[in-house]
Amino acid sequence: MPGLEFRGVSKAFGAVRALDDVSFGVAAGETHACVGENGAGKSTLLKILAGIVSPDRGEIRWQDERLRLTGPRDALERGIGLVSQETLAFPNLSVAGNIFAGREITRRGGRLDEPAMLARTAALLEELHVPVSPGTGMDRLPAAYAQLVQVARALAFDCRVLVLDEPTTALTDAEVDHLFGVLARLKAQGVTVLFVSHRLPEVFRLCDRITVLRDGHFVTTVARAATTLDAVVRAMVGREPPARLAGSGEETRGRPLLAVRDFTRRPAFEYVSLDVHAGEVVGLFGLVGSGRSELLETIFGLHAPQAGTMAIEGRPIAPRSAADATRAGLALVPEDRQRQGLFANLSVRHNLALPRAAQRRLRLIHAGDEQRLAQHAVDALSIKTSSLDATPDQLSGGNQQKVVTGKWLATEPRVLLLDEPTKGVDVGAKFEIHAIIRQQVRAGMGCLMASSDLPEVLAIADRILVMRQGGLRGEITGAMATEENVMRLAAHAAPPSAGLRPAGPAAGAHP
Amino acid sequence: MKGLWRAREASTVAILAIEILFFTWYLWPEAGRPHPFLNLGNVLLIFKYSSIYGIAAIGAAIVIISGGLDLAPGAVIALTTVVTGYCFVQAQWSLAPSIVAGLLVGLATGALSSWLVVRVGITPFIATLGVMGMARGAAYVVTEARYYDLSARLPRDWRIAGVSIDWAGPIIMIGLAVVFQILMRRFQWGRSIFAVGGNETAAIFSGIQVGRVKTSAYLIAGLLASISGVVLAIVQGQGKADLANGYELDIIASAVVGGTSLTGGRGSVVGAVLGALIFGVLRNALPQIPGATFYDRLIVGVAVIGIVVMDRTIGSRGSKAA
Repeated sequence: MPGLEFRGVSKAFGAVRALDDVSFGVAAGETHACVGENGAGKSTLLKILAGIVSPDRGEIRWQDERLRLTGPRDALERGIGLVSQETLAFPNLSVAGNIFAGREITRRGGRLDEPAMLARTAALLEELHVPVSPGTGMDRLPAAYAQLVQVARALAFDCRVLVLDEPTTALTDAEVDHLFGVLARLKAQGVTVLFVSHRLPEVFRLCDRITVLRDGHFVTTVARAATTLDAVVRAMVGREPPARLAGSGEETRGRPLLAVRDFTRRPAFEYVSLDVHAGEVVGLFGLVGSGRSELLETIFGLHAPQAGTMAIEGRPIAPRSAADATRAGLALVPEDRQRQGLFANLSVRHNLALPRAAQRRLRLIHAGDEQRLAQHAVDALSIKTSSLDATPDQLSGGNQQKVVTGKWLATEPRVLLLDEPTKGVDVGAKFEIHAIIRQQVRAGMGCLMASSDLPEVLAIADRILVMRQGGLRGEITGAMATEENVMRLAAHAAPPSAGLRPAGPAAGAHP
Repeated sequence: MKGLWRAREASTVAILAIEILFFTWYLWPEAGRPHPFLNLGNVLLIFKYSSIYGIAAIGAAIVIISGGLDLAPGAVIALTTVVTGYCFVQAQWSLAPSIVAGLLVGLATGALSSWLVVRVGITPFIATLGVMGMARGAAYVVTEARYYDLSARLPRDWRIAGVSIDWAGPIIMIGLAVVFQILMRRFQWGRSIFAVGGNETAAIFSGIQVGRVKTSAYLIAGLLASISGVVLAIVQGQGKADLANGYELDIIASAVVGGTSLTGGRGSVVGAVLGALIFGVLRNALPQIPGATFYDRLIVGVAVIGIVVMDRTIGSRGSKAA
């Protein structure tokens, strides 16, 4: 049965060729993954399919019929539903309001038929096993349900092709299971699913076939059963992935740099004590909602702790702003680069120079210094940008993340705090950022890295602190650092075995 | 000087030049008669009246670039003329302290606006709408429907270093535009204004003292509105509660026509002054066209939209070339 077919699709934005003559097919009823690094052209492909942009050349066919989409609404009405990365939708409307936004059920004279919409919404939510009432405000839903509401919206339009763009980024494992359960049921109903994700294990778990794009070109389509994860990664990046970067930490670990004692800020976290030494990466692993981000932000002076003390190289500090914290030798690469890290109205050069200038209370801008600083960062982190005067929105996600990392490294911190340092960046940039972190640590910096990406934590952290429900639940080092052990601590109580130290009040005090 | 002047200002200059060329051509007189538009006296007139909202527009641009909005400047100008007039005429102070008292008005209203926005957390539109009402109201309370006649105590045909006092406004406007352009483009303070207006959260995370930056913007906007008020009081010779009525919109429009984005993070103070001149030329030239007198405001309204659209087309071409 002919399904969805891309034929010679090309699209350029200015001088950038986002898609170049891409052709592949998705069989009707199959679950098909589209993978590739950021900048590979996945987003553009999805936007074309959803009617948001139109291709320069080529065509999309559905069941042997050419699709000429005039807009997102047209795509939706032809049965193509996009579940986008941004789960926001309309936070000010109810769930039902979101599902029917733009296509409300009305009575005569255009009056809204609320009961009909609520009833239909209730039926859809039940089908997706989402236990919320249709009248609930969208802003009160957890991320997983917000995602499923988008799926419900697509189903309300009787969609035959469901397109999901990085749907699991903000979800916990249990929530991912739920979503995948829903997708399996939809597949059984004959819905064709196109799934775009950076998380290859999920792709392998869910999808029948996998299409790889690289630099706007089609590379290959393979059946899941006939390939391996490493082979797909090689196809994506065009080279071998590096092996584990971290040692046990013992050989490189130097003097203690950051000491945090009994840090408390309810309800996010309480009685957290930890140390970061020179020359080590301390992983801070926890599921979404475990209090990691708030802990890092509090250490960085953005929130005031209710209790607890902190010292850098033995000197007590109590930063009351990010500026104070940077002067004490701290830097924070925040979780959300768009919202917390980048200035879309400023050039890459100015983005890179800002924190250092604020840290040093500079008054006059020295154009030469700024130029040298920015050029150094671009070289050292191999940031790919057309020029230093480009704005961050012209860069790929991975390069944006490098700009945020670079602007903080420019402050020459002694302790670098990282919150999800590779969230939503492609595999290649991820490896590069990991290498940068290890390189900084080898040069004597200490690093505290919060991440919910377990393979990442295992790959570059020398030791792993596990956080659950606002408290440190244990520390894992060396050979004990396995996915299973970390997950067990993060999700539940620690197993009684050597190498896993339950964190008491003195857990931070290392010999 | 790369970076101090941008394509944005260039396109505003182009629009101003087109406007001047048009009126020069349209109002070309019969042979032997003086040009009604293009003569020194009229140019001075344009500069003189443009400077009154042009000075305040510099402050408005700074506030808007920082992500805020200031609706108060018209009322602040009026209250400044009243306070300066009261001190100079009623209290018989000499001129310098009267001017200082007038300038304090702007610092006070600026402090109030910034306190409401930064500390209390009211949105700038509402906060400055309230301050606007209070300032205008205070001006009426002080004057009680009278006005202060400063001209009686001011020297006739007043010259400073041989230059007529009429040039004070334009000179101050141009001087302040240059100073603030340098502060905005060459100093960390200006960079912080752009950063806060572009992304406030990222500014907090970057170690910028966002509260201080915003406070400085409102204080400067207030002070500059007061300078406008002092210039108006001296040029007009009056301290009066209903002066500068509706100026807040002209001031904001000047900034916007000069390339400042109301969403914050983008703009230019020199552009704001050029915007004020664009309006000044329109206001000056339109009444000279026979029959156009009553179309004055209508044409100015259409011009705001037209210029912003034109600027956007020119500007987008400029940024692609850059």
